[in-house]
Amino acid sequence: MDAPRITVDHTRCVGNAQCVTLAPAVFRHNEAVQSEVVDPSAAPLELILKAARFCPTSAIRVESASGAVLFPAS
Amino acid sequence: MTHDQDDLFAPDVIADPYRYFGQLRETDPLHWNARSQLWIVTRYDDLIWLVRHHELFSSAVIGSDQRPPYPPIDPEDRGLFDEVRHFRSDQLVEQDRPHHTVMRGAVHEYFTPTAMEEWRPFVRAAVGELLDAVQPTGWMDVLQALAAPLPVRIITRMMGVPNEDREYLRELADKLLYINRGEPYRMKPLMEGIRAMIAYVEPRVATRAAHPEDDFISVLAGAEQAGIFTRHQVLVNTALLLFAGHETTMNLICNGTLALLRHPDQWAALCADPEGLARLATEECLRYDPPVKSTQRIAVADVERHGKLIKRGDRIRWFMAAANRDPRAFSDPDRFDLSRSPNPHVSFGSGIHYCLGATLARVEGQEVFRALAERFPKMRLASEDLEYQPSIQFRSLKSLPVTWT
Ligand code: HEM
Ligand code: SF4
Repeated sequence: MDAPRITVDHTRCVGNAQCVTLAPAVFRHNEAVQSEVVDPSAAPLELILKAARFCPTSAIRVESASGAVLFPAS
Repeated sequence: MTHDQDDLFAPDVIADPYRYFGQLRETDPLHWNARSQLWIVTRYDDLIWLVRHHELFSSAVIGSDQRPPYPPIDPEDRGLFDEVRHFRSDQLVEQDRPHHTVMRGAVHEYFTPTAMEEWRPFVRAAVGELLDAVQPTGWMDVLQALAAPLPVRIITRMMGVPNEDREYLRELADKLLYINRGEPYRMKPLMEGIRAMIAYVEPRVATRAAHPEDDFISVLAGAEQAGIFTRHQVLVNTALLLFAGHETTMNLICNGTLALLRHPDQWAALCADPEGLARLATEECLRYDPPVKSTQRIAVADVERHGKLIKRGDRIRWFMAAANRDPRAFSDPDRFDLSRSPNPHVSFGSGIHYCLGATLARVEGQEVFRALAERFPKMRLASEDLEYQPSIQFRSLKSLPVTWT
């Protein structure tokens, strides 16, 4: 399967580290301790969606390769 | 200013923290307060830097703070004070990594934005019930009628407390509020409240450990069985969750209502579109007059900033009340503006300790401001004589009378 498209909104990310703890191969903290996507294919989609759901500020958006929004729901 | 420059409890600093801490932000962003023996951080960038570097600044403050309580307490209550410190040092918010990651991991899922959104109908109904009770009278003290009871209803429900015990838990919650009071006798009701809460929760933890349900006590009981929380930590964190989500949410409701009423154009805008503006309004209320003014860290290494040396062991207080008004981060920061977006205020902190209950608090704020605007568009202050609790941490009104007839 093609890798999902993942974006992190840096006006929302507060460096709570849920994503980097759950999926360290996908997310990494930058200098400002905000999350960046390093490799969207490095974890199963299920885990990426869990990371997005665990983000306390809903900063993570996940789309399928074809552009369907997988998180957040509606 | 007539008072001692460094008196953080001076009446004018309690009444208006924005002027005093705003001045520090502009003139001395890393200020050593000799009287209280701590650093004061007020700029937005510095605050973010500080809280995101948890490896330099520890959260285990209450346990290691040897200073006498301030405002002073009855001398014979020193033992009670130590007992309170012992309890509070087991709170999640006082833990450092690596243990914090595991503890937070055990409770985080219960509080995700998706999960908390499901509580909205319950919150809406609770707000409706509380307002139904006062609507015919034409006035209320927002604090007593709405802001104090609402969060207790929600949290006791999350704890799985049966309805018939709700009133008792509300009494205990009121005693826990003494954590933030200035009265010299405050340790007595506070410790009574904590002990009674623990006694109430203890048998329930045992029951839930054997028969888990979908409440928060079951989550903690499960974490104990997994070896993540000790029994004492389960009890403390259940008891103090009632506090963590009480005074804070209370202040959001009162301070937000006050800000709205003091800015008639913004109140009119919300009344014109309560459903559409409730979210933005809640964020701006959080930014403009934050429920928590400041909180603490303790340096675990020597760190240099602004040409000054923060030494290992030094205490640091960071003021979201000042950072939220930093002109380097927000345009026209002293203006209360519901259309502000994005609004990256730091009222819930930042970094690994970012408020666990943030979404729940947001849902409560949104439902309250929406309901007030829908029901009482003519609402106005019934008194300009407002007073705040003498706290350095919380921005707590003592009452907020309003009328709508
Ligand atoms: C408007 C309401 C609230 C405000 C302004 C607020 C503010 C904060 C702040 C600033 C922190 C970070 C403290 C630090 O880093 O030292 C925090 C942490 C926390 N809050 Fe809240 N809070 C609110 C409501 C709630 C509610 C409703 C709950 C629970 C139901 C809650 C539970 C917690 C917990 C457990 C922590 C510790 C998190 C951790 O250490 O990982 N809060 N809160
Ligand atoms: S979980 Fe959210 S807030 Fe935390 S680092 Fe990841 S994106 Fe940022």
